[in-house]
Amino acid sequence: MNLNIPTLNCAKRAIAALALILASIFLVSLAQAGELKTLKIAFRNAETGFDPQRIEDRYSVGISENFFETLITYDWLARPAKLVPLAAEKVPEGEEGGTRFTFRIKPGILFADDPAFNGKKRELVARDMEYAIKRFRDPANRSPYAWLFIDRIVGFDEYVEAAKKANKYDYEKSIPGVQVLDKYTISFKLKQADYNFLYFFAMPIVVPVAREIIAAYASDTMAHPVGTGPYILKEWTRRSKIVLERNTNYRGHQLDPQYAKPNDPFDQAAIKALAGKTLPLIDRIEISPIEEEQPRFLAFVNLEHDYIEETPPNFVSQLLPLGKPSPVMLKRHLLVQQTDEPEITWDAFNMEDKIVGGYKPENVAFRRALVLAHDRGSEVNIIRKGQAVATKSAIPPGVVGYDPNFYAVDQDYDLSRAKALLDTYGYVDKDGDGWRDMPDGSPLILTFKYRAEVEGRQIAELWVKSMTAIGIRMQTTAVQFADLLRDRKIGKFQMSNLAWTADYPDGQNFLQLLYGPNVDESNDARFKLPEYDRLYSQALKLPDSPERNKIYRDMNRLIVAYAPWRLGVNRTFSHFINPWVLGYKKHPILYTAFKYLDIDTAAQQAAQQK
Amino acid sequence: MGAYVLRRLWQMIPTLAGVMLLIFVLFNWVGGDPSLVLAGKITNKEQIENIKKQLGVDQPAYVQLGYFAFEVATGFTCTWKSFTDNPDPPKTDPKVDPKTDAKTDTKTDATKATAQPKSGCQAVRSWATNEEVPKILTTRIVPTLTIMIPVLILETFLGVILAIGVAYVRGSLTDRMIMMVCTVAMSVSFLVYIIVAQYIFGFQLGWFPVQGWSDSFWKNITYYAPLPIMLAVFVGLAPALRLYRSFFLDEINNDYVRTARAKGVSEKTVMLKHVLRNAMIPILTNIGIALPGIFVGSFLLETFFSIPGLGREILVAVNRSDFPVIKAATVYLAMVTMIINLLVDVLYKAVDPRVTFK
Repeated sequence: MNLNIPTLNCAKRAIAALALILASIFLVSLAQAGELKTLKIAFRNAETGFDPQRIEDRYSVGISENFFETLITYDWLARPAKLVPLAAEKVPEGEEGGTRFTFRIKPGILFADDPAFNGKKRELVARDMEYAIKRFRDPANRSPYAWLFIDRIVGFDEYVEAAKKANKYDYEKSIPGVQVLDKYTISFKLKQADYNFLYFFAMPIVVPVAREIIAAYASDTMAHPVGTGPYILKEWTRRSKIVLERNTNYRGHQLDPQYAKPNDPFDQAAIKALAGKTLPLIDRIEISPIEEEQPRFLAFVNLEHDYIEETPPNFVSQLLPLGKPSPVMLKRHLLVQQTDEPEITWDAFNMEDKIVGGYKPENVAFRRALVLAHDRGSEVNIIRKGQAVATKSAIPPGVVGYDPNFYAVDQDYDLSRAKALLDTYGYVDKDGDGWRDMPDGSPLILTFKYRAEVEGRQIAELWVKSMTAIGIRMQTTAVQFADLLRDRKIGKFQMSNLAWTADYPDGQNFLQLLYGPNVDESNDARFKLPEYDRLYSQALKLPDSPERNKIYRDMNRLIVAYAPWRLGVNRTFSHFINPWVLGYKKHPILYTAFKYLDIDTAAQQAAQQK
Repeated sequence: MGAYVLRRLWQMIPTLAGVMLLIFVLFNWVGGDPSLVLAGKITNKEQIENIKKQLGVDQPAYVQLGYFAFEVATGFTCTWKSFTDNPDPPKTDPKVDPKTDAKTDTKTDATKATAQPKSGCQAVRSWATNEEVPKILTTRIVPTLTIMIPVLILETFLGVILAIGVAYVRGSLTDRMIMMVCTVAMSVSFLVYIIVAQYIFGFQLGWFPVQGWSDSFWKNITYYAPLPIMLAVFVGLAPALRLYRSFFLDEINNDYVRTARAKGVSEKTVMLKHVLRNAMIPILTNIGIALPGIFVGSFLLETFFSIPGLGREILVAVNRSDFPVIKAATVYLAMVTMIINLLVDVLYKAVDPRVTFK
């Protein structure tokens, strides 16, 4: 058969060959595009970077979860959160009375490839963890989580002091309390028993890092996250687009269904989608930070994104009017998961303030009257639009130590009791101007300091309204975030609204907010009660147990009794998921963990083509 | 003209010094303490002191001002003389521990390629993200200009055309209707336009994406930018139209226009040659005033449409008390304003030959 090919001249043959190559590339790319599983989502805020020891915001940390691996982590399905091994072979038991914790890293775990490794495969070793721990206290890193390792590990504080004196932070020098026992084993010796120390190693910022990477990209470590996790950073247009792709060196992960609840549809759907498969299943993840609520919501309903987490309360009612699925939701087969995050809000009284502070019976009675007069129901229903529940204790649900039976009637809204308490202790109108005065006859004017933003203003206005109802004058002051932080830290406020999200799911992470020695650090109310501090120290030395839970209960009672806080709310978040996203379940501590997701690409494409 | 330009350039130096002094005073006395924002959830005095030391905010005011001036002049900052100054981990080979087999060779090719010079000076960096500030400005300006240059061109072109039209039919029903529409349009907040337009054109009709940006200029200009551009033009057109109309009316009532008409010059020539040319001076002044704004972009547009421009960057920096970025953007804007003012003054000459430089 003569194809006449010899008759084609050279140029024509070249063009034909080129066309053939281009067509092949086009077909191959089409085929690949069809198979590539891409997840697109938005974050509520912009990230700062991905150097685990230098970041704090949950969005940067949430993305870093996918680049790096902690030694231990939380089981994906277990509620309340349960520690399980990840890079370590097992979750260590506290030794030597809870003062020593030893981790053995699984051999054979590889970092993602990077030019800094000179073309060689780089295995994760114990020294990487040691190096990461040292980085937390390196002043050059300004680590926001340096507090995790202050006054905790034997010899670490002395190591830092010596570095200061020598004017050099010496990574070669060893720390007595951080012992690398062999290639894969690292042991930590603590100054005193602390069973919550274990939780630190499940925090996505306490992860081993390769020293070569930090050295190679010292000028911008934020942009070069190289870890052992399931994904790598493929593209990063700062504060605009973050693209993750699979780490080809990742060893794979299996979903462990042992803690799944048989009656939880999300657990069962996750098992159906993921069980028995080698994770991750998604090839590419594209994240867009969108600060404004409307475009973030519209991008989701416009099918530009695959799911939306922490949906703004203003928009939840569009998909769930009166708590029922809207026609759009039913038509689109959207799933919704509503979760109570491990966080609390509260209004702090400055315990060193002359009017609202103090520990005498009249001081305590006054604060309790203010608490009783504050209309928290309006905060839940109006300010939070029903997307919150009133906090019952300083420990939120889903956190170890939470007691569902603990209920503080003294934090309920009760105007009559509030007025009676004020009358009893002499906070009455003495000059006939219609407003209550101090017992000594001096004017009683409260001040509430808040962050200059809509929610802060609404909360302040509610306080003014509540105080007016019991005849107390209140002034409010709006300040910028940095100023509010400063004023709280130095005690330059009378009352202010605060919030805390769990770093790890143990009540201690919340109760430390009122621990006396933490004044100037995290105890913004400047609460100093010897009995509370004694209980706190006692609880630290105990593992999770009924004995420790009893101590937590007693501490909660003291909080309610002395009222350094007006307990606020636990916010409820709604997460809407398109039906082609498989395995979705919101974790209370981990922020993303994309490895536990899959995508039905056929359903995704069909929906987007409609 | 050369002498005039040189004199104006020379005058920029004290003006810029004044701007810098103002910025410095504002940030140091009113701007709050950035070390608390950077310190994290749980702070301690030692950490706060360390951060202050690293940022240099523990230095006397005159030293800080000197460093600020140096940074503006060079774009570089020099590290503070303390042990905290060395952000680079040691680049020597760590000793090999035979027991742990954990040698980490840090002298890699990548190290050689990217490690910072040890001179102690480096580009000014963001406190929040450690990104080089000059890089932030140069990368963010592109999306901003992608949106704002078409906005300025369209707004000016449409504003002038429509204004000359309505000025020509002044007092008519058309004129009054257009002025009424303009007044109503100006009375509504830009934010409302954005929210409504996103909902209608982005969601209900699906004509445009509600957010996004890409690396491709053509995709941006044809896919992501049209809706923000249209909104900005629509919102900016009403005040521009009213203003330009008044400029044209001022000219139309002048004697030279009456003379031209008496001589039998066509209306088209009167309006487009005589009136337009004379009205261009105030129009040019108005554009000159608006021009620096295009280099900062619209905060609202960039935030609502997730455009990674300079306006959004400044907003994020303000929320994070990221003073190097805010200071740099402010100084940059001051410089741009001065340069544009000079260019506009030079352009007067091109538009109106009667203008002379003194």
